[in-house]
Amino acid sequence: MDRLILGQYIPGDSLIHRLDPRTKLISSVWFIMLIFLASGFTSYAVLAAIVLLAATISEIPISYYINGLKPLTFLILITVSLQLLFSQGDSVIFELGWLQITMEGLINAIKIIIRFVLIIFMSTILTLTTTPLEIADGIESLLGPLKRFKVPVQEIALVLSIALRFVPTLMEETETIMNAQKSRGVEFNTGSLIERMRKIVPLLIPLFISSIDRADQLATAMTARGYRGGDHRTKLRELNWQQRDRLVLSLFGLLTFLLIWL
Amino acid sequence: MVMEIQFKQVDFTYQPNTPFETQVLHDINFTIKEGSYTAIVGHTGSGKSTLIQHLNALKVPTKGSVWLDDFEITADKKNQSLKEIREKVGVVFQFPEAQLFEETIGKDIAFGPQNFGVSEEEALKKAEKILPVVGLDKTFMDRSPFDLSGGQMRRVAIAGVLVMEPEVLVLDEPTAGLDPQGQREMMDLFKRIHEEQNITIVLVTHQMEDVAEYANHMIVLDQGRLVAEDSPTNVFKNEEWLQSVQLDVPQSVAFAKKLAQNKDWHFAEWPLTLDELSAQIISQLGKGI
Repeated sequence: MDRLILGQYIPGDSLIHRLDPRTKLISSVWFIMLIFLASGFTSYAVLAAIVLLAATISEIPISYYINGLKPLTFLILITVSLQLLFSQGDSVIFELGWLQITMEGLINAIKIIIRFVLIIFMSTILTLTTTPLEIADGIESLLGPLKRFKVPVQEIALVLSIALRFVPTLMEETETIMNAQKSRGVEFNTGSLIERMRKIVPLLIPLFISSIDRADQLATAMTARGYRGGDHRTKLRELNWQQRDRLVLSLFGLLTFLLIWL
Repeated sequence: MVMEIQFKQVDFTYQPNTPFETQVLHDINFTIKEGSYTAIVGHTGSGKSTLIQHLNALKVPTKGSVWLDDFEITADKKNQSLKEIREKVGVVFQFPEAQLFEETIGKDIAFGPQNFGVSEEEALKKAEKILPVVGLDKTFMDRSPFDLSGGQMRRVAIAGVLVMEPEVLVLDEPTAGLDPQGQREMMDLFKRIHEEQNITIVLVTHQMEDVAEYANHMIVLDQGRLVAEDSPTNVFKNEEWLQSVQLDVPQSVAFAKKLAQNKDWHFAEWPLTLDELSAQIISQLGKGI
């Protein structure tokens, strides 16, 4: 539970920390698209180099990034084994009954691992160097044009920042209630799947109740401080494009051409 | 049956071998004797809550060992069944009303015993018997726990732990957020079950008055280290030292110390409670100052 890296902002003053959140969001999405466009190992090497460069610039120890990988290991393993077992191909390298592992399957599996790792690293760079509030501000600003189509952008951003803000609180609360129920004799990690699901009830109901209570209190606190929402709100933190943001985005443009050429 | 709790050189580190590693407990040694009333005090962040989670093996020491009776808990003995321990050591966490989840109070209280193999019928009977102990009556059995006041919810949650008939009862700031009368009733309830059923009590608190009034054994934590283990009388002798670990003496001791600045007043022993203080004042006044 503690390993979940989401919302684990690490304060710092590196170039990456100082970038505009919009730049970081655009770059991350752009990067993920590049990963799916890239197909050769050379392209992957270039992308990996970019990730490592960004991670180094962020001045955050590499172990934090590796920690971000751990919760997703299981997902990666499942996808990889499916890919290994069910890829069609001609050059069979291993056969057991109807099971066969082909060279193509192996290569695909390796590519999937690389993609996963790169995507997770890149998004970890984003969440480790950007506060949840900055991310919400960035998304709000990027979605700005949608206001014309009556999309409640400001509300969406608010919901998002509240959700992000309460992830750690909710996790802490989960642990507290788990401890209380364990003390009353619940063993969460034993029993059949159905038994385990039934044991979740004494955990989920208190969590729902406290979340609803908290939402109520938050609404009262916001009303008390005069929150009205809508277009008339001004911002405490204005986002400003800097030279460094233009630089990073042009680098990504160059990178795209490089990958197409490769 | 003797239920003694012993900490031997206990270290605890959160998320060891990760960048988030933080050591919270350093070389903790103490013994909680059967039938004692132990108070654990320390300012916020001193490691109290982590420490009490070791008392029923919710946390396992990173180094060293915790002995609960003849049952040893160490880092390398994982995956053993801890149910027996959890049955003997009942823990009431801070704001325990957060643990309520059933449709009726009766069912919620009966939840614990059923996890330890008691039949539903039997558990409900036990629940009905325990309600008066926490100051509620039978009519509460079929009511929803979520219709109650905060203080009543707290009582139901405590009943849910008491119903398991623990030999050791661990209380983490059980009176936080209650009104003054509720606080007194709650503390008297624990005193009663301590005396009548000879249950060992471990109380975590910031209320020095409660320590002085109820406890006979005191453990002081500061920054994850045990800095004192003694009787409250002895610990409260040294006011300057207590303040150095961000704690204080009970009001009655502070009052007596102020009085003693006047040479006419002498206290052979600092009065730990208001009753002791008034008794001493009366007897000294009687001597005709």
